[in-house]
Amino acid sequence: MLTRHFPLVIVLVIVALALSLPWLLSWTYDQIDWDAVRAPAFSGSHIFGTDEIGRDRLARLAAGTQITLMVAIAAALVSLIVGIAWGATAGWIGGRVDEAMMRIVDGLYALPFMFIVILLMVVFGRSILLVFVGIGLVEWLTMARVVRGQVMTLKQRPFILAAEAAGTPPIMIMVRHILPNIAGVALAYLMLTVPQVVMVESFLSFLGLGVQEPLTSLGILVKEGADDMDMTPLGLLLPGGLLVVILVCLTIEGERLRDRFS
Amino acid sequence: MSLYEIGNLAVDIAGTRLVEDVSLTVEPGLCTAIIGASGSGKSLTCLTPFGLTPGIATGSIRLDGIDLAGADADQLRDARRRHTGFIFQQPLTALTPHLTVGAQLQEATMQAGSARPSRSELVQKLERVGLSRPDERLDQFPHRLSGGERQRVMIAAAIAHSPKLLIADEPTSALDASLRAEIMDLLDQLRVEQGLGMLLVSHDLASIEGHADQLLVMDKGRVVETGPTADVIANPAEDYTRRLISATPRLDEPSPKLAGPGDELLETRDLGVEFNRPGWRRGIILAVANAAIMIRQGESLALVGGSGSGKSTLGRAIAGIGPVTRGKILWRGGALPERRQRTLEMRRLIQPVFQDPVASLDPQWQVLDIVTEPLRNLRPDLTRTEREDLARQALSDVDLAKDFLTRMPASLSGGQAQRVAIARAIIAAPQLLVLDEATSALDPLVGAEILKLLHRLQEENGLSLLFITHDIAAARRLCHRIAVMDDGRIVETGDLQEVIDNPRHAATQRLVAAS
Amino acid sequence: MFGLITRRLLTAIPTLLVIILASFFLMRLAPGGPFDGERPLDQTTQAALQQAYGLDRPLWEQAWLYVSRLVQGDFGPSLVYRDFTVSELIAQGLPISLMLGGLAIVLALAIGVTAGLFAAVRAGKAADKVIMMLATVATALPTFVTGPALALLFGLWLGLLPVSGSGDGAAWLIMPVVALALPVSGAIAKLTRAGLASVLKQDHIRTARARGLSETKILFKHGLRPALVPVASYLGPAAAGLLTGAVVVETVFGLPGLGRYFVQGALNRDYPLVLGVVTLYAALIILFNLFADLIYGWLDPRMREE
Repeated sequence: MLTRHFPLVIVLVIVALALSLPWLLSWTYDQIDWDAVRAPAFSGSHIFGTDEIGRDRLARLAAGTQITLMVAIAAALVSLIVGIAWGATAGWIGGRVDEAMMRIVDGLYALPFMFIVILLMVVFGRSILLVFVGIGLVEWLTMARVVRGQVMTLKQRPFILAAEAAGTPPIMIMVRHILPNIAGVALAYLMLTVPQVVMVESFLSFLGLGVQEPLTSLGILVKEGADDMDMTPLGLLLPGGLLVVILVCLTIEGERLRDRFS
Repeated sequence: MSLYEIGNLAVDIAGTRLVEDVSLTVEPGLCTAIIGASGSGKSLTCLTPFGLTPGIATGSIRLDGIDLAGADADQLRDARRRHTGFIFQQPLTALTPHLTVGAQLQEATMQAGSARPSRSELVQKLERVGLSRPDERLDQFPHRLSGGERQRVMIAAAIAHSPKLLIADEPTSALDASLRAEIMDLLDQLRVEQGLGMLLVSHDLASIEGHADQLLVMDKGRVVETGPTADVIANPAEDYTRRLISATPRLDEPSPKLAGPGDELLETRDLGVEFNRPGWRRGIILAVANAAIMIRQGESLALVGGSGSGKSTLGRAIAGIGPVTRGKILWRGGALPERRQRTLEMRRLIQPVFQDPVASLDPQWQVLDIVTEPLRNLRPDLTRTEREDLARQALSDVDLAKDFLTRMPASLSGGQAQRVAIARAIIAAPQLLVLDEATSALDPLVGAEILKLLHRLQEENGLSLLFITHDIAAARRLCHRIAVMDDGRIVETGDLQEVIDNPRHAATQRLVAAS
Repeated sequence: MFGLITRRLLTAIPTLLVIILASFFLMRLAPGGPFDGERPLDQTTQAALQQAYGLDRPLWEQAWLYVSRLVQGDFGPSLVYRDFTVSELIAQGLPISLMLGGLAIVLALAIGVTAGLFAAVRAGKAADKVIMMLATVATALPTFVTGPALALLFGLWLGLLPVSGSGDGAAWLIMPVVALALPVSGAIAKLTRAGLASVLKQDHIRTARARGLSETKILFKHGLRPALVPVASYLGPAAAGLLTGAVVVETVFGLPGLGRYFVQGALNRDYPLVLGVVTLYAALIILFNLFADLIYGWLDPRMREE
């Protein structure tokens, strides 16, 4: 388990640290240490030093990771629910309804969706709730396609026809036969959606359109680091590196899960 | 000296011995056939010596005087390239989808080092395998051709470089029954014309009879019996061979004893099923048109036809699990409505059994839940214990021990899974079973067992059966009457034996000739 | 083939229209307007400006006006860069964005297909595992991390490449293009590898092998084309990804491309500018998807008939 799921272990350790560090550190993420602006690593009580206005880097990393992962999980769940509802409906009803619903998905796939989300953020203010609703609404497309494909193939299976002949009502066929059989694949794609969402959230925050100060996220930290990288490269490398590690680990685990179910 | 000779062949894959002690010879112009159930090692035996499976072959292997035992990959490649042609089971997927028929035939012609063939030479090669409009075919992609046409292209390509040995791995299994005889006759003709030696692999004894000179019967990786084909079939020495022969239905075997039927049970009048053409274009596909059939109580009706004839669609319409566009279904004279409007009581009367036994069972459910699914809906009056008692009874009716109740579908063999599917179909005491190719996907021995089981259930419970199949000989073991379907229409009905003796419609004649 | 192209172009028109109208009304629902500067303008100036740009008319009328001008190729005036029309800004930014995106997709295809092919040939061996691990890492490299990181390493520390701006020569293109191409190349490598792995198991490969062809010939003549089908279907989403990535890259490296105008425009409520860029992006992506469909038909003739 420990060696085989090494990437998962890393993510869990990061999550544990992100949750526990704020309780252990003497500085909060928005607290300014006027005596130590741009302090180097391991100076005094600042393990990774401070940023350009004197806030503790480690505390900000922990807080940013918390927000990023929270947004990611919430948005991935939104995409799971919308994707399953849309895909299962299209696949189950079939025929012209299915074609129309899938044309919509194809059409949306072809859109510069990110720009619509950016517009959404600009228009409706930058609340954190909107961030994950917006992202979830972008990311459900793949889930809908996968679920629809699964339902289409399952629907042709004789055991579904046998269930109909056995008098099982359609809603129960959906609940008892179809959903359990797509759960594995849906879970795998949920795992793969999480890193996607992390990426989108950080992207928005990087542009200043996602999570807003005083809250922070990894995307904001990367942005701040990039702006100040000629003075303190650590400010870019720490959140950037952490973000990449999280993304890589989640992707590896998600792909493994997907390969197991397909 | 024989053209091809293997002695004491053994095949191992990943350290497991799957074939042991097989010896055979192929003579020029003659055909040697290997027959066996799936997993008997017959395909491994003929493909591994040429390096076409992941297995490792040991023993003596000689092709036209060249020793292939211990040959390296390049030498095996050379043996395939120069002297051997191969035909595989799946004509639909065995040709490269993005290359035209002409390009693939040209590649095959040049594989042994010949010069680039002219277009007229390629046309000739397609003519020789009986393909119509050969010139046009050269520029087509494989997906434009039907299954039978693709198999002819495969054969043309396999012999394009004038090989000495032709290896045919289930060349007709994926084709419609009526096409099988044509393809086998073509292979016979080419073999004689060109002095080709042929090694033929099949799971179906009936399909090789009259085509193979020598026969090997294989089971569990070993040769059970070998000898001239006619002798082995007439006087089988081994018990396994005898069982295999008796399991293979034949038109000339003695008629079975069938119980006399009772009153009229089900009738369809002018039944039609139409589908919308896929895509946005307007139009409909007529899958079934004006179908009129009738089944009496305790009677079995064979519904026979090729693939795409509409027989499964009609069966599903009757079982209430497929659409009905027009016409009527009558049950004891009263109307039986379309699928969504059927009451639970109506559902209980008719139950289906399908071709693919593994796909018939929900992989997430255990056998107990699968078998009792009809009871939970159709007999809500029963308690849990009563349901379990009935499940045990149903399993014993299909000759399965009661410890199967806790098994998962993945742990069942094909025959066991089909028995579970039958148990589910009979548990709520239906009066009509719709059997959609229920024995076609099973090995001959297992299929024969299932036929026997169905026969017994019919006699004991006075069940009526609608036996949908492409195989008239199998239907003859079970059925009183026959309805032949072709292109969505019922083209001939009547007493089964009379129709076999005197088929009137061309489609019936083809089906009878193919059995 | 011809039918497919016309059909696609015809469905593209309503799609574009929906995008334009959706973006139009979204922008207008937003609180705040283009003339809310640091110092609020007095009432009369506000009203005069509103009237000058037609912002005082009913929304539907404005939308209709916008679309009918757009059909004539007029994107309208920019509200923030008041000396320029949107068409002029686009003419300035589009070449830069197209060059970035085009070079990035070519680079990503070259790296991705080669790496995927190499890994598939070495399937199960160490080289395969290393390449696939690198590909996974590459797909997880966000442009907004690699961009600044590259600039830090090659620009600030090593001083090899310019950190920002579009100077002379091509050196300024290297880092933005690499940052854009990396995640796409990783995804293409994985798709190529997986496509080949499944194609090489298919029956027609066994037929080719039975003919005694060399493994190289089997791979390139019989295996590669069907294996690239998943790559082709990824090209559409990849193009969309590159365009969004370009927004970041242009911001990070200070390049005056479309993406930067878009972000600036969105933040400043420059309606015509934002609408113009969204319309253009949508049209580009639709065109690219059509292009991908054509490649599809070449890769697998079965796809040519619907």
